[in-house]
Amino acid sequence: MTHSVELTDIRKTFPGVVANDDVSLSVNKGEVHVILGENGAGKSTLMNILYGLYQPDGGTIRIDGEEKEFESPQDAINEGIGMIHQHFKLVGPMTITENIILGSEPKKSLGMSVDMETARREVKELSERYGFDINPEDAVEDVSVGVRQRVEILRALYRGADILILDEPTAVLTPDEIESLFVVFDELIEQGKTIIFITHKLDEVMSVADDISVLRDGKRITTIPAEEATNNRLAELMVGDEVLLELDRDPHPKGEELLRVDDLQIEGDDATLVDDVTLSVREGEVLGIAGVDGNGQTVLSDAIAGLIELDDGSVTFDGEDATEWGRNRLNDAGLSYIPPDRQEQGLVMNFDHGENVILGEQHTFPIGRRMRDDELAEEIVAEYDVKTSGVETSVKSLSGGNQQKLLVGRELERDPKLVIASNPTRGLDVGSIEFIHEQLLSARRNDRGVLLISSKLDELQQLSDRIAVIYEGEIIDTVDPETVTERELGLLMAGQELVTEETDSVSNENTLQAKRIEDENK
Amino acid sequence: MIEDMNLTRIENTTLTRRRIGLLALAIVAVVALLVSPYRDGITSIVNVGFFNTALVLSVPITLAGIGGLYSEKSGVINIGIEGFLIAGAFTSVLVTGATAGSLGADNAVWLGLLAAVVVGSVGALVFGVVCIRYKADQVIAGLAVWFIFLGLAPFLSRVYWGNINSPTVATFNQVAIPILSDIPWIGRLLFTNYPTTYIMLIVVPVAWYVLKHTSFGMWVRASGEHPESLDTAGINVNRVRYVSIMISGALSGIGGAALTLSTVGQFIGQGQTIVGGDGFIGIVAYLMGNYNPLGTFAAALLFAGLDALQLRLQQIGLDIAPELFGAVPYVAVIIVLVLFGYTRIPANAGENYESGDD
Amino acid sequence: MSDLKSRLPDEVKHILGRMVDASGRERLLISLGSFVLALVAGALLLLVSGAFASCESPVFGLGGLQFCYNPIEVYSVMLNGAVGSPYSLGLTLRETTLLILAGVAVAVTFQAGIFNIGTQGQFIFGGLAGAAVVHYTADLLPANVVGGGGLFALGMMAAALIGALYGALPGILLAYYDANEVITTIMLNFIATAVAFTIVRSFLREGAAVQTTLIPDYATPPAIIFPSASSFSILILVPTLLIAVGAHYLLNNSPLGYNIRVSGEQPTAAEYSGVDSKQVIVRTFTLSGVIGGLAGGVFVFMVLGYWQPSVPQVGFDGITVSVLAANNPLGVIPAAALFGILQSGSVALDLQLGVPRQLAGVLRGIIILFVAMPEFMRMIGRRLGLGESSATSAVTGTEANDD
Repeated sequence: MTHSVELTDIRKTFPGVVANDDVSLSVNKGEVHVILGENGAGKSTLMNILYGLYQPDGGTIRIDGEEKEFESPQDAINEGIGMIHQHFKLVGPMTITENIILGSEPKKSLGMSVDMETARREVKELSERYGFDINPEDAVEDVSVGVRQRVEILRALYRGADILILDEPTAVLTPDEIESLFVVFDELIEQGKTIIFITHKLDEVMSVADDISVLRDGKRITTIPAEEATNNRLAELMVGDEVLLELDRDPHPKGEELLRVDDLQIEGDDATLVDDVTLSVREGEVLGIAGVDGNGQTVLSDAIAGLIELDDGSVTFDGEDATEWGRNRLNDAGLSYIPPDRQEQGLVMNFDHGENVILGEQHTFPIGRRMRDDELAEEIVAEYDVKTSGVETSVKSLSGGNQQKLLVGRELERDPKLVIASNPTRGLDVGSIEFIHEQLLSARRNDRGVLLISSKLDELQQLSDRIAVIYEGEIIDTVDPETVTERELGLLMAGQELVTEETDSVSNENTLQAKRIEDENK
Repeated sequence: MIEDMNLTRIENTTLTRRRIGLLALAIVAVVALLVSPYRDGITSIVNVGFFNTALVLSVPITLAGIGGLYSEKSGVINIGIEGFLIAGAFTSVLVTGATAGSLGADNAVWLGLLAAVVVGSVGALVFGVVCIRYKADQVIAGLAVWFIFLGLAPFLSRVYWGNINSPTVATFNQVAIPILSDIPWIGRLLFTNYPTTYIMLIVVPVAWYVLKHTSFGMWVRASGEHPESLDTAGINVNRVRYVSIMISGALSGIGGAALTLSTVGQFIGQGQTIVGGDGFIGIVAYLMGNYNPLGTFAAALLFAGLDALQLRLQQIGLDIAPELFGAVPYVAVIIVLVLFGYTRIPANAGENYESGDD
Repeated sequence: MSDLKSRLPDEVKHILGRMVDASGRERLLISLGSFVLALVAGALLLLVSGAFASCESPVFGLGGLQFCYNPIEVYSVMLNGAVGSPYSLGLTLRETTLLILAGVAVAVTFQAGIFNIGTQGQFIFGGLAGAAVVHYTADLLPANVVGGGGLFALGMMAAALIGALYGALPGILLAYYDANEVITTIMLNFIATAVAFTIVRSFLREGAAVQTTLIPDYATPPAIIFPSASSFSILILVPTLLIAVGAHYLLNNSPLGYNIRVSGEQPTAAEYSGVDSKQVIVRTFTLSGVIGGLAGGVFVFMVLGYWQPSVPQVGFDGITVSVLAANNPLGVIPAAALFGILQSGSVALDLQLGVPRQLAGVLRGIIILFVAMPEFMRMIGRRLGLGESSATSAVTGTEANDD
């Protein structure tokens, strides 16, 4: 059998980082080849080189046995390579058909205009051949994420791709959508296509892979056939001899109720963004909120933090009705907020450390005082291990992990009663993640309340005392992290309720749970 | 992602509601006026001559607006179209005046128009290089373009003519199109007009067709919305942007020439020059027309109509502070902006795009 | 270019190179560089346009073409006309005073990320308000220094108030109706011109010309040190400098100032930190309007002595000054001085050499254009051999993004 793709000694360095360290890889024709690795292992870089987006510093690419050089994606497209990026490259307001044909439009009227009739027909035929249920006339911005991904696949196929690279295609999908994506894989393989599938999720690998290559720190560790792989072995290969620290989450007595949210409702224009959410957090408790991104978590956390006005419901903070308080008063009362986006929301990139550490507190400054606090900045830098060249440099120059430490430090140094942490470790390296987890747990030990919103199940299970699952703006269940399995959480996040016996025992003290059962009885 | 989209949709529907409301209001107002006792007075003011004037006045606004629309759709906000209008107005008078003696008036005006297009396109190309190659802030760079031509045209007027205003030069004649111009009313309105007006009447549908039905039009739309999608499809984003910017310069050049070579025959350099904000009104016209060339034309007609009304009222000797009445279109622009808020601007307008490595 | 490079002593190159690295100093170099490049571009313009001008004694001829303007002579006449005598220095400081006010007015809004082009309109209405106060109250107050002081104070207060109101308007339109401020402010400038003309013609006209009552001498700020012909009073310049310093202080030492800067840098971060962005927009615009209105008041009381419709484009010059100063109110002071020299020099230029004073307007645009493209200025800097290391410092923030 010839290799569809053969990469030899591919090397790529970025300033200060070796992203690909002489990686060699062979992909068989008509198979699904999984490239597995942690964030930062060099998977995307390698694939961007194959797709002509990056030029390698060394090494060769062979397609069907012939050596090729790709100077741009166009070269790769011409060799039958298609790439479906993690972040879709689609034009929202344009129709599915327009998106698919963009750049290779069929022409009519002596090449003067686009032959939309033909285009629509071709797109229809193509999507039927692969069993895709799409309407070519829909605007891309009006269809679901799953459909958009299909449009991306069709876009590659329309250009005659035989080798499809999918970069973390499941990151944005619900478990249901992931299932049907794998059905699509089967269909594609049947039609003779080759698939390169990049992921860092172990559980997905086994169900679809023919071969599995593991990347770590820019090197290929090994390639093994799927039959020979087990979850444990793959995890070992992926992580190497890194030891994952067990976090110290002792049982801790819960105190008074700090935060209580009743029947919180936020309406969008034609959808309810947060639907009748009730929850509570007590002193010394971490309440986790699990959910696939985009199910209303951000709106919920913004609303509790006082950034969005409620359409209905109430927020009680530390025994007082805080529904109308707004961000500043809630902050003064002891509610800190680590927002989901540190570079857009949490920190001002062009401000220095001293200016950034007062963000959120600025309204407490009297006129005439300098709008900065260098002492506090020094303190946070020292205590939270922020690696910086000085508190008077702009935070733009910090790495993501150090930015987040500065942000977390700022919010915790205010000595809040409760902190909302929204995806506090997204995109960080292992060391920073552990550090931030430790900080959140120490807040818990000090009888603070923590509302942790995350899309990472392991994080939620490690830190939370209870996990509420949000789906389409509704809390559909609250479960005990000790007993719930990842599979069960996954099902809940996809909007499927669990059989009652399983969860009944978990949280008898939990009023939410009672409420859910109540709802079901109605 | 999903949350973002909801927010966009909120804006869109309120906009549509506002639009429908505004339209209803306008219809009610017109009907009320037509059944009111002022009926006769109104029809004596709003006659074919009025509409003809409005059409002529709409030419620079429409052309600048459609040019600005192409540029912004492709991802480069061109605040500088006012400047390109000034450039076109000045150049056309300069070239026409300089060549009328040797070429004859009829040829000279066409050469003047051509020169305006060339200067507009080349100026726009420079603006494009500034914005794309050197990643300038597009709004500031656009302001700079306006300021440069706002200073340069009067400067050169004084250098060349010794006066901030030019002497009068040859102008286009109205051309009656055979047969069509005999149609009652319409013939007088549409088919007895200046060549620049005809150019506009052709540009409007062509610009609409190109944007909607051709490959280039698709690329322009994709380039402003999501340049990466175009790039990964193998189309050079910046090339699409350069072409779009140059279209805006060329059309503004024609618009500027229309201001001077149709009717006035003179470049006026005082204050805001003869252009007097038509470029900015053009920007509002395409916002109001929701980036549709046909809608842009309709909006431009509305603003031009207000201007024509003012001229017409002066013509019939109704002296109600002409300067004050001259400000009516500007007030209308603000009202329109308030009613329409911000239309959905292309997602990547104003953003620089760099493809490929790093 | 390479010539110049080799001529630069290593020492200077080293120092300048280090300055290019630091972002604040880089901005300073970019501003200075833009100013110099604009002068170079202006020189080219003068050379070329000189070939088309008609003059009695051309500076030089080349292949049948006669060139009327010698750029070096032009610039030296400008400089001399700007600072060559107490009178001309007074003229320059007079321009500088107006430009500082206009520049600060623009700078506070630009700091908030608001493209406010409306200072011209506030300048027009501020001046008119001052003139109107004189028109209606001059007879009621005693005709002496005390009455003059009162008249001046009332006039400036009216200028500030009207400026504030006319400044708040686009702020409200932006904050509550989402109406793009670039367009509304430009429209409001046009409207201000038209309305002011009509008001003067219908209500405030004095005599045949469309202009207001002359402001009595005793209400005009006294000329100290400088000849009174230059219509400049140091008693106005000092508080003007204080306004610039005060604006800088406000931006760095008050919650509003902090909020203005956060809103300008990152609106989402402002929202996150509990900033009421609508309120900040309206307050910033109002503050800017106060200062823009004061510029109009100063123009009427100190410079012209009455109000008439064709006022200079001080508001637009304020944009140049602000952009040149990187929107820093303290930086506005030297930027205004530089531009003041250009302005008053261009008047001398017109009178002495017959070179149109509109040259200053062209330079205004070119300066902004250069400041708007730091990439270009960096490239020029590298060509000159300055700050080689700035290229590498630009990429340190870039990390391999592999996820």
